[in-house]
Amino acid sequence: MRKLLLLFLFLTTALSYGYAQVKTVTGTVKDSQSLIGLPGVTISKPDGTGSQTDAAGRFSIEASATDSLTFRFIGYTTQTVSVSDQETLDVFLISEDQALEEVVVIGYGTANRNDLTAPVTEVNVEDLTKRTTANPMQALQGSVSGVQVVTSGAPGSTPTVRVRGVGSLNNENPLYVVDGMFVDNIDFLNSNDIESMSILKDASGAAIYGVRAANGVVIITTKKGKMNMRTQVNYEGYVGFQNPVNMLRMASGAEYAAMQLAKGTRGDSLYVLNSIEQFGGQGLVPATNTDWYGELLRNNAPMHSHSLDIMGGTEKVNYSFGANMLDQEGIMDARNDYKRYNLRFQMEAQAFDWLKLGFTVHLSNSTLFAPDNGAFGLAYFASPLYPVRDANNTNAFPEDFASSTSIGYNNGVFNNPVAQAYYNYDRTKAFQVLPSAYADVNIWGNKLKFKTQLSQRLASHHKYDYTPEYYVDNTQRSQLSKLISVQDRYTNYIWDNLLTYTDNADDHNWSVLLGHSVREQRWRKTQASADDIPANEESWYVNLGTRSITGYEEDGTRNAGLSYFARGTYDYRKTYLLTATFRADGSSKYQTKWGYFPSVGLGWVLTNENFLQEQDFLSFLKVRGSWGKLGNDGINANAGYAVLNTGNDYSGIFGSIGLGSGAYLPGYTIESQFSRIGWEVVEEWDFGLDFTMANERLKGTVDYYHRLTRGLAFNRTRALRGGDIYGNFGDVANSGFEFNLNWADRIGDFGYNIGGNLTTLKNEVKDLGGIAYLMGGQTNFPVRIEVGKPLNYFYGYEVTGIYQNQSQVDNDPIGSAEGAKPGYFIYKDQNGDNVLDENDRTDIGNYLPKITYGFNMGFDYKNFDLSIVFQGQTGNKILNQNRSSRNQYSMMNGDAKFVTSLWNGEGSTNTYPSAEATTNGYTFAANSFWVESGSYLRIQNIQLGYNFNIGKEDKQTRFRVFATADRPAIFTNYSGFTPEITGDGVSGLGYDRNIYPVSATYSVGVRVSY
Amino acid sequence: MIMKKYINIALFSSLVLTTSCSKDFLDRPMENTKPAETIDYTDLSQMYGPVSGLYRTASKGAPGFVHWIDVGMRAVRGDDLDKGSTESDQSQLDEIKNFKNNASVQNFWGLNNCWTDYYGIIFYANETLLELDKFAEHIPSGDSENLALNARYRAEARFIRAFAHLIVSRVFGDVPILVDNVVINETEKSSVEQVRQFIINEMEESANALEDAAPRNAQHQGGVTKYSALLLKAKAASDIAKNDNGSPYWDIVLDATEQIIASNKFQLYEDFYELFKIKGKMSTESLYEIQYSDFGTPSGTDVRPGEFFAFQGPAGNQHGSPIAGWGFMKPSQKIINFLTERGDDIRLKTTVLYAGEDTESFVESPSGDKVYGNANGQTHFNGKAYSPANQMTPGRTAYGSDNNIRVLRYADALLLNAEAKIRKGQNGDASLNLVRERVDLDPITGATLTDVLDERRAEFACEWWGERYNDLLRTGTAQTALADYGFTPAAQYLPVPQIQKDLNPNLR
Repeated sequence: MRKLLLLFLFLTTALSYGYAQVKTVTGTVKDSQSLIGLPGVTISKPDGTGSQTDAAGRFSIEASATDSLTFRFIGYTTQTVSVSDQETLDVFLISEDQALEEVVVIGYGTANRNDLTAPVTEVNVEDLTKRTTANPMQALQGSVSGVQVVTSGAPGSTPTVRVRGVGSLNNENPLYVVDGMFVDNIDFLNSNDIESMSILKDASGAAIYGVRAANGVVIITTKKGKMNMRTQVNYEGYVGFQNPVNMLRMASGAEYAAMQLAKGTRGDSLYVLNSIEQFGGQGLVPATNTDWYGELLRNNAPMHSHSLDIMGGTEKVNYSFGANMLDQEGIMDARNDYKRYNLRFQMEAQAFDWLKLGFTVHLSNSTLFAPDNGAFGLAYFASPLYPVRDANNTNAFPEDFASSTSIGYNNGVFNNPVAQAYYNYDRTKAFQVLPSAYADVNIWGNKLKFKTQLSQRLASHHKYDYTPEYYVDNTQRSQLSKLISVQDRYTNYIWDNLLTYTDNADDHNWSVLLGHSVREQRWRKTQASADDIPANEESWYVNLGTRSITGYEEDGTRNAGLSYFARGTYDYRKTYLLTATFRADGSSKYQTKWGYFPSVGLGWVLTNENFLQEQDFLSFLKVRGSWGKLGNDGINANAGYAVLNTGNDYSGIFGSIGLGSGAYLPGYTIESQFSRIGWEVVEEWDFGLDFTMANERLKGTVDYYHRLTRGLAFNRTRALRGGDIYGNFGDVANSGFEFNLNWADRIGDFGYNIGGNLTTLKNEVKDLGGIAYLMGGQTNFPVRIEVGKPLNYFYGYEVTGIYQNQSQVDNDPIGSAEGAKPGYFIYKDQNGDNVLDENDRTDIGNYLPKITYGFNMGFDYKNFDLSIVFQGQTGNKILNQNRSSRNQYSMMNGDAKFVTSLWNGEGSTNTYPSAEATTNGYTFAANSFWVESGSYLRIQNIQLGYNFNIGKEDKQTRFRVFATADRPAIFTNYSGFTPEITGDGVSGLGYDRNIYPVSATYSVGVRVSY
Repeated sequence: MIMKKYINIALFSSLVLTTSCSKDFLDRPMENTKPAETIDYTDLSQMYGPVSGLYRTASKGAPGFVHWIDVGMRAVRGDDLDKGSTESDQSQLDEIKNFKNNASVQNFWGLNNCWTDYYGIIFYANETLLELDKFAEHIPSGDSENLALNARYRAEARFIRAFAHLIVSRVFGDVPILVDNVVINETEKSSVEQVRQFIINEMEESANALEDAAPRNAQHQGGVTKYSALLLKAKAASDIAKNDNGSPYWDIVLDATEQIIASNKFQLYEDFYELFKIKGKMSTESLYEIQYSDFGTPSGTDVRPGEFFAFQGPAGNQHGSPIAGWGFMKPSQKIINFLTERGDDIRLKTTVLYAGEDTESFVESPSGDKVYGNANGQTHFNGKAYSPANQMTPGRTAYGSDNNIRVLRYADALLLNAEAKIRKGQNGDASLNLVRERVDLDPITGATLTDVLDERRAEFACEWWGERYNDLLRTGTAQTALADYGFTPAAQYLPVPQIQKDLNPNLR
């Protein structure tokens, strides 16, 4: 092929030699960015004759000095160059993508950054790949204003992402659109798969996604080839080790024993005495000191990741291919790991000049061995006074684990944590296929285009949960082996049809988009369980054991959506900007079927005006404002009618007489309390400034946002019968400022940049439908929802100190009435009536951070570069529920800080109660002691890199080697494992029950690009 | 270009197609839920469905009658049961026992748990009655057989609802009477007396609609019958009558218990010890029992009352024996002394399960189970919660598996009958002595009120429904009998849980 091309070139050159009254001009045509020679570029002269570049991009053409040469190449902007007296010409063609350098992906299209009227954040993908995280969203933590990412640290776990506060309590996560497909999370993607990521934060940007958009939209396009590009190969890989960071130290055996003895009861002392008797010790000091977390954790859990991309393109076809794998061991010293293999393939063909066809597919396979996190929970409770193994526990089998009953613990919460972890086998195998095909029809001169795209998500999870037969003690045993086998299947599709018209006349530019979208989402789950299953994995089928009568369950959902949408943009001289969108969304999920979501955005580029032409301090300044409505259908649907429950679980047993066993009589119950649920509607205002100044060194944006969520859906506690009822119960506003500033400069070989972002959040309940307040959360430590207050604030007594002596108790009417003793909390008498009652409860904090921020610094010198990212938040409160569990289980162990700080005499502390007080319910009235500040500052990531090239100038291979420390340190006063609280239900409201230590990852890696 | 036109036409028409069927496309009922409307109320063979469902609800923990902490909440007060287990485990139960209605009790997690468990049953009972109304609407007016069945089923639901009101009022005193779920958010409290009167009225209306049979012989074996209702009525009436021998409510007690005795459908189960074992399930003595089953199979489904039995089972390492648990609800020294002093050997053997002195020694139970001691030195456990291993279905290992929970017994009817007679100046010996003879105690001639009350104390010792404490309250003897525990009338009932007062200010 190459030879033919050379021959052809030679012939054209030879033929044109006949007209040789002019000179020969030679040169190369290169890509303006990569500086790689472009083969096959058409060079034409005004008379219609011309030439082409060779494989290396070289050309040679006969031309006179008055000629101008036009260089044309698909995918690049055409360039015309005058020959004049030059004999060599080096031409740099600018790729179309690059020509639209500031092009940003927006909903169902792209836009020029300068023309946007909405605050759209384009994520720096380069930075994403620096983070050694299993999930691209984790990598985003701290780098985008208004986007709060909360991660739990467990392998394979999905982070919680909140855009601009909490618009919704249930599904807070934004909508992810990957190559046009709606997905709930992007756990299946590797950061290296991503070509661009845009975050639509406000109504003007997101309203085009209508009912799915209230929590913001993250649009991701994966890597794609381009027409006429040189084949590019990229490899990136790293090997790292994970270690628990900011590890919470639990009380040691001696510390725990001291607390138990200080409680002053025989029962509490007995644990200590029993331990000494059974496992040794002297006097009142037991010899046993089991560090349960230490026993459960492993150090230097390895993690490695590799990814390979190949992409390229010819004149008519382009493609990209990617493969990557991740292998991450968990930090629990038990079967606990996550493996993921991804394949990606994309292809696009210019079938006719008016028709482009494309196909993309993502295949993802993963295997997760989930640790039994319950074991960490047990480790928090477990007494350090008994060992892991005990040869005297002769009934134990198959392993000789020690029993907590041996020193007097009777309750299952004090079970042996190591045994719990050991007898766990919980594997989830998952695969996912995301195929997507489209046709792009150019109907009329690049102005009127039609695109239709069908995207699907086909996924399946299969989870095995096997418990072998074992015995530790009465409360920790499995007499029969048990298997639970769960399959989930997801089949979703979206079919989008888009008609776009773009045109301009004089200084007026406009575009119109009309769209139609159909989607369906189906989920179906099958669960079967059985007892008495053989131990070998090949026999793990429920029919090889005894299936329990209620051991077969199915569940599922099926939702459909139908949408029509439109967007119009108009600008005059790129200075006065207008964007308007409208979406009509139909959803099968709720009783109300249709919703309408309009938005309008306006922008004014001041730097295009004459009055700013005379200065060069400001190179760009735009003010913009937008308004719009968004919907959230991520909230649970309900039936909207009384539900009938039938089956064995709702059937009474009759005839259980004497030695005879009874039988079910078919029964049912009616769940008559329901609410009619609709989607939440968010109305948002946004005002912002975008600027670039000081010779392009300083770039920034400032935004003020105000989001009002109407019909916020949440759980409220049901009167009398307990439990919760879910419904659209209130209106809540989130407002605040977002700042983003970046300074970058270069002094000779030394370059540096400093950036920061900060978001403020004010959350306020606006309306509860006339009800004074609602209660939620946990009944013993409730949260309250009240108009004019932040949502779900912890409601309880304020602790002002500790009674130091008896006379202080006697002089306080509350203390004496409640039978308080020295060492007990002093509760504040809010209304001063000398009685402690419900009226003395108050707002003791709220789980939403008032400020979230991140800042980063980067330096480069010659081939070296260094970057550091910090991230933090302040103003939120956490209920430390691990500590307050002592209410129910007073003999539990605790964190060392708590156990060793307990009041033990006048003046010892004015903060912590006495050991004896921790056995008294008085201490556990919902109060401010158990609520702590969740502020923290974390060093998110440090990376040091070295870059070098190998090879000849036009065939260089670029290398980057790097060392990364991910999440190496955190600064916080919070006394739990991590101040990042995630989870469903009340965990999402700041109730910390997390017992999974967060780990830091240290890794080294290499990136090779050819 | 022509091709392109066709493509466009095809695309356009497909758009029109999807749009035109959009109404059906979006109109989908929720998956995997059955609307209540799908019940065919004309199919009268399904009419017992909501009642069977209610029995099952009552047999569960939350809501239901048998959550382990609820046992502690309603039975720890009085002088027959101590909290048991280690001192600091659920220590608020001790504060409850010692009448400290302080912030500690007010904030104890068990308080609201117990409240919502009982009102949950009441809620579902009301739903059951509404369901039965819907079936009734479809019964032709001439179909007297089905109309009678409908009335009978309604009466069964009303019994469970009334019993739940009795229990919740025994714990909390003045509580709402809930017969209409529509007012669940704003219902107001009724006095203890009003609650008992409500129960009397309900049972008066229900008794004759119910089956004239012993529960074990009922059509749905173990369902409540006329006599269950009569006993419940008698119990409520005795609560109102209190210590006033002249109260007309003693006539109600006497009449109701006479009817039960005169029916000749009941007989005390011969072996008091075995009465509480698996063998004694739903015996000739049973007037209301909560039924469970492991279906006689060694593995697979086992319908159990949660941790009800384990809560009361012997603590410590039991070396693999199923006779094991957490050690709560320990028979008090007072009840042991009381039974010992009156020579009540059979009841003592039944009420107390002895364990070894330390972790290495054991005591063999009367049924031959080795009960090892424990590190806490607790040597006795609730014997009435004990089901011996040799009666269990082979392969099952959960303590109490396949046993029922006894609720109302014929002995209660006999003793109330004797009490009413004596209070009305008649001779109560016959009924009293039936109960005594069963446990090999000598008959008493000319029995006094004290004799009857002592007999009640011994007969119902350590059962789970707060019988002893209720007897002390209604006879006005709590002040003296419970002086050791600091009884005060002000704290005789537990406070309404804070969260309930927050949710409904009418309950403040």
